Amino acid sequence: MLYYVNININGADIKAPKGSSVLEVAIEYGICIPHLCHVPGLSDIGACRLCIVENITNGRATITTSCTLKVQEGMIIRTNTDRIKRLRHNIAELLVAEAPNSRAIQDIAVRCGVKEVRYPFRNGDCVLCGRCVRACSEIWHANALGFIGRGKERHVERPLNMREEYCKGCDYCLQLCPMTVPPCDGPMKPGEEYLCGKCESQLMITEDIPESCVWCRLGEGFNCGRYAGLKTVR
Amino acid sequence: MPHLNTKEDLEIMGKQLLLDREKINKTIIMCGGTGCTASRSRDVIDALNKELVIQEMDNEVHVRVTGCHGFCEQGPIAVIEPGNIFYCHINPEDAHDIVTKTVKNGEIIERLLYTDPVSGEKVCKESEIPFYKAQDRKLLFQNREVNPQSIEDYIAIGGFTALAKALDTLAPEEIIREIKISGLRGRGGGGFPTWRKWMECHEAPVDEKYVICNADEGDPGAYMDRCVLEGNPYLVIEGMLIGAYAIGATRGYIYVRNEYPLAVRHARNAVQQARRYGLLGENILGSSFSFDIDVARGGGAFVCGESTALMASLEGKVGEPRPKDVHTVVDGLWHKPTTLNNVETWANVPSIILKGASWFNSKGTRGSKGTKILALTGRIKNTGLVEVAMGTTIRHIVYDIGGGATNGKAIKAVQTGGPSGGCLSVDKFDLPVDFDVLYEAGSMVGSGGMVVMDESSCMVDVAKYFLTFLQDESCGKCVPCRLGIDRMLEIVTDITEGRGTLEQLELLEDLADTVTQTALCGLGKTAANPVLSTLRYFREEYEAHIIDNKCPAGVCKALIEYYIDPEKCTGCGTCKQACIHNAITGEKKEVHVINTDLCQKCGICRSECKFEAIQVS
Repeated sequence: MLYYVNININGADIKAPKGSSVLEVAIEYGICIPHLCHVPGLSDIGACRLCIVENITNGRATITTSCTLKVQEGMIIRTNTDRIKRLRHNIAELLVAEAPNSRAIQDIAVRCGVKEVRYPFRNGDCVLCGRCVRACSEIWHANALGFIGRGKERHVERPLNMREEYCKGCDYCLQLCPMTVPPCDGPMKPGEEYLCGKCESQLMITEDIPESCVWCRLGEGFNCGRYAGLKTVR
Repeated sequence: MPHLNTKEDLEIMGKQLLLDREKINKTIIMCGGTGCTASRSRDVIDALNKELVIQEMDNEVHVRVTGCHGFCEQGPIAVIEPGNIFYCHINPEDAHDIVTKTVKNGEIIERLLYTDPVSGEKVCKESEIPFYKAQDRKLLFQNREVNPQSIEDYIAIGGFTALAKALDTLAPEEIIREIKISGLRGRGGGGFPTWRKWMECHEAPVDEKYVICNADEGDPGAYMDRCVLEGNPYLVIEGMLIGAYAIGATRGYIYVRNEYPLAVRHARNAVQQARRYGLLGENILGSSFSFDIDVARGGGAFVCGESTALMASLEGKVGEPRPKDVHTVVDGLWHKPTTLNNVETWANVPSIILKGASWFNSKGTRGSKGTKILALTGRIKNTGLVEVAMGTTIRHIVYDIGGGATNGKAIKAVQTGGPSGGCLSVDKFDLPVDFDVLYEAGSMVGSGGMVVMDESSCMVDVAKYFLTFLQDESCGKCVPCRLGIDRMLEIVTDITEGRGTLEQLELLEDLADTVTQTALCGLGKTAANPVLSTLRYFREEYEAHIIDNKCPAGVCKALIEYYIDPEKCTGCGTCKQACIHNAITGEKKEVHVINTDLCQKCGICRSECKFEAIQVS
């Protein structure tokens, strides 16, 4: 039997299943919280920090990631305050400057309101969201991928850089990787650090970032939890 | 070795050991801490012991090898009791003189005495040295009373009586209340009230609980945890025993970094000795309380000093922090309630229980009680570990204990709290060492590092140094910390190399704020502090780099040029000989010139010139 708790997200009173995370509940109810490292069905690690929300207790707002925050009775959550929007914009900007040629990261950045990027582009090919690593170890228990190194050296690698036989060839890592969505041929070059956003006509009608889910096509790009949820229903 | 079955056993043994100790009335207290060991104190100890055997005095004179006394720059140091005579910079060859003159006849050896760098006078007694006199040494003083390899030494000075008192007369709730009244706050950096951690852990309805001592100290220049754990591991163990009894834990871990071999050895040895005496194990001192400790070695990551990363490391996983939406006192090591405290916090517990909370909270400010050990380093005359009451002003520490600036240069700033702390300018020197006050000022007490900087330090360069350190040590899990620090470093590097713009300065502030608010763990959340605090107090230095393309302190190589002042140059040729890049030309007794194309700005000529003719612009 499911137990429910009452929480409040952006002013809306919501009955949320106990044990679920704030992000899951928000997605379920069509409240848009951009996210990257969260994949429905995998554990949440709070690495990308895009899904930050304000959790208001005793009138004090603390910022935390909604994917790791479990719902509790009486919780008050704000997902789209000016402070959150600014911080989310800055995080998305860091991400897109790192991997400007990834369609998924571009989508996220546009969704978070990034137009110009204030850092030089780097053209990296991994943003270390850890989707592949968790999928590999949690769905198939294959442990064929893992993180190696720390800080700047951190990268995804096979065990000891050699044990290829661990891989079961399920391809799930490739499906989940935000880098494998074919890149656009937009102006993602060093020295031209801005996002055109042309391919996302649905969102660009309004300058404001919507608070609720508008089934924007951006979600397809980065495997938004809502799309993924829909896929599993099918 | 007797097994201590009751409180009385401990008392009797303590008295007996104290009697034995008092029979030997002459003691040479020799520092065997890491600092003094590095300056060959082991050789001195061997020489002293040998000399005592030769003089047939080994039965009446005891050489007590202790942990760190705090005055490491003077090492190896020794204190000779009775008389409280303090000798520093001792060589093994001095052993003969020390034994024959001082120990035998009470004569004082002039050349081994400490010279006060402020007054220039020789000081004979340890208690009269200004460095020690201006301190309030509660924890550090115990180090010189105990040989860290001998539990008997610790029992002789009343060790484990606090444990006996707690087990015998106090209920767990009473202990927690005592800690609450004492106002003890976490010494590792956060300053979180210790009692609250204990209370929540105590109330958690689970049988299996853990206590952890965090000795994974990694701040550059800070070593107070090493000093306490290495110098008096029994104090930490006793503190952990009391804490474990209060919260109902059955198992404890001392997580000590592997780069502290002496601390690892002493902690392990102390645990074994305590087990042999029955002070760890089943039914301690005849009570129903059972507890044991294991010593775990850290793998060498700065981030493992963060509580959740430390627990992950203890569990055998990669030492990475995890979100703390549920606190570790409820869901910690192996998902059991876990209380983690710093070495210094644990070390404060026995005296609070023994002497009462009011003894502890009589010192300090409204929000911060007791004493704090600080690692004082930088451009000052006296460096080392200092212990002061909370609320002591920075000025007192820098000028009265530290003796003020070396080389007559003006002190510009003090960096407190290591990479997580910030820089405070000289007009903030009247601020007290207090968790809340320093936090308000944009810095923090942190674990207690205190680096004093003078005019020759460039604050942008300091920020760059800490960012480089943090970039190396960030685990890389979350975006704001990994990419944020990287980009901050990129911007600061641009500024130090003359490519900075004023827009970048705004971006730097914005980014620093983002990292502070959104990073996953405490390391990331405080990583921007060096940047934020230098921007707050030394913005003009940043602007000088950007607008005037000048480094006011003459540190950032891209922005400075060396030249020879023709008025001061005597044409001695020293600089010409010293320059490895052949950038200096000039005839003997004529003014020399630096060829700026060849000059690599290494600064060798400047340090060689006796006439201060080489200048930086």
